[in-house]
Amino acid sequence: MGQQLLNGIFLGSIYALFAVGYTLVFGVLDILNLAHQAVFMVGAFLALTLVATAGLPFWAAMGAAMLATALLGIVLERVAFRPLRGRADSNFSGLISSLAAASVLEAVALQLWGPDVSRFPLGTFPDRVLRVGPAVVSLLQLTIVALSVCLMLALTLTLQRTRLGRQIRAVAESPRAAQVLGVPVNRVIALSFALSSALGGAAGVLFGLAFNSISPDVGRTVELKGLAVIILGGMGSVPGAVLAAYLLGLLEVFTTAELGSSYRDAVAFAVLFGVLVFRPRGLLGGAAVRTS
Amino acid sequence: MESFLATYASVFQFMLLNGLLALSVYATLCCGQLSLANAGFMCIGAFASAVLTQRASAPFPLALAAGALVPALLAVPLGFPVLRLRGVFLAIATIGFGEMVRVFFVNWDYTNGALGLVAIPQHTTTLLLVASVAAVTFFFARLRGSRIGYALEALREDEPAASTLGIDPARYKLAMFVLGAAIAGLAGALEAHLTFMVAPSGYGFGRAVDMLVWAVVGGISRVGGPLLGAFFLTALPEALRAAGHAVGLAPGPLRMGVNGLILLAVVLFLPNGLVAAPAAVRALLRRRKART
Amino acid sequence: MPRRERILAIAVALVVCGLGATARAQAVPVKVGAALSLSGPAASYGASQRAGIQAAADEVNAGQLPGFSLVVVLDDDASTKEQGINVYQRLINQEKVSVILGPTLSTTATAADPIAQAAKVPVLAMSNTSPKGITDIGEYIWRDSLTEAQVIPGAVKKAQARLGFKTAALLYGNDDVFTKAGYDVMVKALADLGVKVVATQTFTKSDRDYGPQLTALRSASPELLMVSALTDNASAIVVQARSLGLTMPIMGGNGFNSPAFIKNAGPAAEGVLVGTSWDSTSTAPANVKFKEVMARRGFTPDQFTAQSYTAVLIVAEAVRLTGKAGREDIRAGFARVKGLATPLGKFSFTANRDADHEATVQQVKDGKFQILP
Repeated sequence: MGQQLLNGIFLGSIYALFAVGYTLVFGVLDILNLAHQAVFMVGAFLALTLVATAGLPFWAAMGAAMLATALLGIVLERVAFRPLRGRADSNFSGLISSLAAASVLEAVALQLWGPDVSRFPLGTFPDRVLRVGPAVVSLLQLTIVALSVCLMLALTLTLQRTRLGRQIRAVAESPRAAQVLGVPVNRVIALSFALSSALGGAAGVLFGLAFNSISPDVGRTVELKGLAVIILGGMGSVPGAVLAAYLLGLLEVFTTAELGSSYRDAVAFAVLFGVLVFRPRGLLGGAAVRTS
Repeated sequence: MESFLATYASVFQFMLLNGLLALSVYATLCCGQLSLANAGFMCIGAFASAVLTQRASAPFPLALAAGALVPALLAVPLGFPVLRLRGVFLAIATIGFGEMVRVFFVNWDYTNGALGLVAIPQHTTTLLLVASVAAVTFFFARLRGSRIGYALEALREDEPAASTLGIDPARYKLAMFVLGAAIAGLAGALEAHLTFMVAPSGYGFGRAVDMLVWAVVGGISRVGGPLLGAFFLTALPEALRAAGHAVGLAPGPLRMGVNGLILLAVVLFLPNGLVAAPAAVRALLRRRKART
Repeated sequence: MPRRERILAIAVALVVCGLGATARAQAVPVKVGAALSLSGPAASYGASQRAGIQAAADEVNAGQLPGFSLVVVLDDDASTKEQGINVYQRLINQEKVSVILGPTLSTTATAADPIAQAAKVPVLAMSNTSPKGITDIGEYIWRDSLTEAQVIPGAVKKAQARLGFKTAALLYGNDDVFTKAGYDVMVKALADLGVKVVATQTFTKSDRDYGPQLTALRSASPELLMVSALTDNASAIVVQARSLGLTMPIMGGNGFNSPAFIKNAGPAAEGVLVGTSWDSTSTAPANVKFKEVMARRGFTPDQFTAQSYTAVLIVAEAVRLTGKAGREDIRAGFARVKGLATPLGKFSFTANRDADHEATVQQVKDGKFQILP
């Protein structure tokens, strides 16, 4: 029981880190960025390459990967999203454009790193294990939870306390009003993408380290779970995404323990469905319709 | 010439089948609903018809009818809660539905779980596919010019305004949702009896998104749009394959990467889809002429 | 010799040499098609198969099949059945191949093989292990990959004799034909031996986190953990199991038989038992040669490589036995293949066109696979 609780918290941390980036972009641009999972995957591979080939220590590799994915986010925004802004059907076209971008990134990853599953070299992270009663938790898992929480706190502080954060929230509320008030909308959007992608990349690195499995299609499972998380939490709400991620992580873990893993995915989607039918704005979401 | 026909007959059949699927998504898109449920409906239709053929030795027309009716019947209770949702929320709810359907079939032993049903007799002919596509296209073409067609278009453009004019959105949206389910189910039944087998893995998130992409890339301003999108995007990987062989390129992930790039280009540069390409070219030429 | 006779002798000798040279230059091409998953979810297995096929074809063409030259025509089905069907049509109607190898995935096979059957083109499946829906399509469909039903029971029996376990827990991938089929066989094999299954958990192919499942299995305290998983999942499962404190012996099926498994699982792989169709440690000459060939090409072979390499050898043997390279000839040749020396062992086909060769049980010791004595 205790072990499953720890499993749930651990899983939740990773979902949370992935989901906050997802929900940030949705809040700002009203678009579901389906390329987020590809950025997640690229982050993992970049860190892996830096550690395995260039021999960088883990921290440096993670930092560098986050920087690189932030840049990737800016490029993605410029190429796949900005040209579509202002089009009437930007919901649809943004979705499809991000999908196309994701498939291009996957093909590039396949070409560069091959289709096989890789893992961080042994010894990338010290292999210590702690016992908490009958439960077992590794130093790695604790570090990942701590890192996730720190990064999410950093994001929240950025959004609440800094000028950029205020600007992001203004654009999320109403881009036109923000523009009238002198906010450099294009730059703010680009920076939101950078933040979102950096977090997505970080999530990828931690995921790869946690589960020893990095492959060009590693983003696919997390993508759908991430969707369930941001819906449950409320689209556009960062604290909502965090709360929902932990809830979903725990729900999944206990479903597996009680009902067996066959139903684990179905439960996540049932939750998704239930939330949308009964409370579309999720746990902490704001208004469902955004003013232009 | 004969070997060309034999080689590409299956591509042609898939173009028609995918055209049918794109039209099933068009049904919901033309009243402004971004529904991704049709892969799930297709799966249900495919299994329903295959089970009838294999376990009950039903005649093919009956199996086809079941393939269309069973998903349609399920769409009614599903539609009520789901169609109240807007935009991207509806999309996500329907993604959740599709995943639940897939997980259900993976775990259902009656249909052999992941293996699905195999050795289904091949009853679908190219002629039947052509007839189905023609019939559905004709139906939509007639619908466009009719009173119902105008009502749907009004709903798509501005739902609140349309409802003040006495158009009941719920009824129309449900009708088109059910129609879309029936067409997708029919396509599923046709495919099951074309490719000899049905397995849940073929009806996941990827399939649902593909259908949407065909419809949107083709353009929904005309009935021919989704067909054009489906034909183009089904033939594209095969055209790239032939081109790759012609230049001596080794088969691999590059082809699907180029596929993604072309998709991205179409979304970015042809906002109203392929069907609006002539108009877009004309507009471009006019702008060029005005500048000189 | 008088002068006229000498000139005649030289002329005859020249003509004979000329004829011999033309005969050598006119090697009959045997077009061998291969439909592989080179992109999409099954890409890692397809890449492995491509390496095996190309290596074997080069070896065979270096003099092992006089008078014939294997021409390999590869294509990518992107792990989808639609493209699998399109590839088959292209291979059959445009490239006009004599035989098709593949496809990588069983679900694609159930959709595409009927086409080959109808067109009377022989298919040699290299990685389809589904018990139903492959060779029972018809007399043109053959396979060289042992089904789990042919591998697991013997492996489990041997392991039980060695370890003496009375209870077991099962963990399997329920959304893949390969692993689900493996699970079905494992359940039956355990039941036949009187071993009680105390817990069962599932996962999906794309899962990377097995913590919840492994924790649930741990609380049932089984004496053996049997896992039916693909290579991509196998190493992560074992690593996570060990770090969650599961100390009982772990046994896997074909999916574990890969050097990537040992590499990715690291020290956690130690002691893992694998019931498999390819004995990588075998010192039989065919296997030693195979490993040398792959090493020269810089490719570490796994079971998929071995099965695809063998497939090409079988095709070459079929051509050799009938002396002809047409579609019917290769099919007839398959029926006559008996005890062929391959990396998989001495190979023949069963009456149902399935593979027939010895399976083995291996154990990971000191970071390497070794035969379980």
